[in-house]
Amino acid sequence: MAIMGIKKSICVVMLLVCAVAAVGCQSTKKQAHYSDIYKEQPSTIYVAPIVDHSLRRAVRSTEDSAYNASLNTAAQQLFLTATDPLVNNGYYVPGPLASAQLAATEARTGRQLRNENLSDYAHDLGIDAILFITLNRWGDAGDGWTVEVEYVLRSTTSGNELMHAVVEATKRYTLDFKKRPVANPLDQAFADSNRCDLATAQRCRLVEVLNRYVLKDLPSGRHARQQRTERYIASHPEFFTLRIQPDESVEVVKNELELFD
Amino acid sequence: MGVKKGCYAIVIAVSMVWLLGGCSGGYKSTPRNEMFAYQNRPTYGSLYALAVAHAERLNASLAEDTLHPGLYAEYGIALAMMGHKGVACRMLNAEVAAFPESRGMVRRIKERLMPDMLADTLAGVRDSANLLQLAEWAYDSVRALQPLPYIPSVIDSTDTAWIAIQTPVDSVTGPVRLTANQKRELLEQQQQADKLRQQFVRDSIAAAKQAVQDSIAAAKQAKIDAREAAKKQRKIAQKEKEKARADARKERQKQAKKRSQKKNK
Repeated sequence: MAIMGIKKSICVVMLLVCAVAAVGCQSTKKQAHYSDIYKEQPSTIYVAPIVDHSLRRAVRSTEDSAYNASLNTAAQQLFLTATDPLVNNGYYVPGPLASAQLAATEARTGRQLRNENLSDYAHDLGIDAILFITLNRWGDAGDGWTVEVEYVLRSTTSGNELMHAVVEATKRYTLDFKKRPVANPLDQAFADSNRCDLATAQRCRLVEVLNRYVLKDLPSGRHARQQRTERYIASHPEFFTLRIQPDESVEVVKNELELFD
Repeated sequence: MGVKKGCYAIVIAVSMVWLLGGCSGGYKSTPRNEMFAYQNRPTYGSLYALAVAHAERLNASLAEDTLHPGLYAEYGIALAMMGHKGVACRMLNAEVAAFPESRGMVRRIKERLMPDMLADTLAGVRDSANLLQLAEWAYDSVRALQPLPYIPSVIDSTDTAWIAIQTPVDSVTGPVRLTANQKRELLEQQQQADKLRQQFVRDSIAAAKQAVQDSIAAAKQAKIDAREAAKKQRKIAQKEKEKARADARKERQKQAKKRSQKKNK
């Protein structure tokens, strides 16, 4: 019995050592991989409009136009879902409508913007880094959708590339007896809630998961903690007046911001 | 035992049905879904739905005391695109108040969407804490509201949208104390605004109905015209055919005559 107990405790200790080693490796790797982000510590990231290099079909039938529309929708979804993982990491990211308004004031195309000086974004708009997403190609392997996307995060102050990732993602599906893709419940839910066809839903979910996977691992923003405090203060526009009585009982009077002013 | 088993079976069946019903989802109005719809079909109706979804999300996040970055700005931009510039400006100011790093971006957006309101900055959030101004805004926005499209669901949801749009404004500006006269004036203005709004909704529904009826009548007329035109065309073609046949017959007769004359000679 005693031997069994020792064995168990050895196992537990070994597992703990492995876990600590794994956690340690992950953090060093992250620090090495995102060293520029740690150095520059951007707090505001703007997602530039998607540069879409994927090929469209020449329209000869309704099937071709449906295919093209599906790719367009998926590209839009790639843009829409890029903000959430960044926001969750504590960065300030303008939403899709704000980004569209900012993009409308920009004369340069996405490709030009990626290679040119971005200091005006830092001075005029207070943006620290710009995320460029390039959709290179779409593929259909017969049993799944494939997409190749390039992510580049460039600093507006130094012009350095803070992150560069080229990812090829595949979403496998099963075929039914008529050789049509079978609906995964999550894809079906997406198709229902967004009123689109299954192929579009599958592509949209593929790019959404891809965004989440690639961008979730970024280090937390510089102001992540402060942002939380500021958000709390902003959502509590109240001031308190404390009156300590002679018997040391405390009387609290809540003042609205306007009255306090 | 049998009864117990039966009860278990019923409970399991009911819970399965409930679970499946829950899983099947259906359409959910969230800012992202509405944004998806708006990007695929940018109409006034989808923009309206997007603004309402943002307002609901903003209300929910204010209730939870957590603010999502960019939420005020998104809502403000949607409202500005719909023509409600006054309240949109207030929303953009609120975004700057909550997230000072957005100042430059908000300024650029204002330059683009409401250049006449550039001077209305952060101070305006507190100064505009006046319900009379809100009522004026309500009155102006009814007048400024563009004609709604013919989507019945949008027209039906006008009241909900109205409430949803007003609530975040109240939470930003805070409560205000009014004199009796001001209250009376406000009440009158609100009643006037309500009347105008109801009239507007009624008019827009009637206009939408009329437009649908007109389009149906026009389609019917077009069908009838097309049928008559086709009939005429057919008659003309038939006449031409008959003429051609008559000509051919005459030609044949002439040739037969010539042949008989030759034979006689």
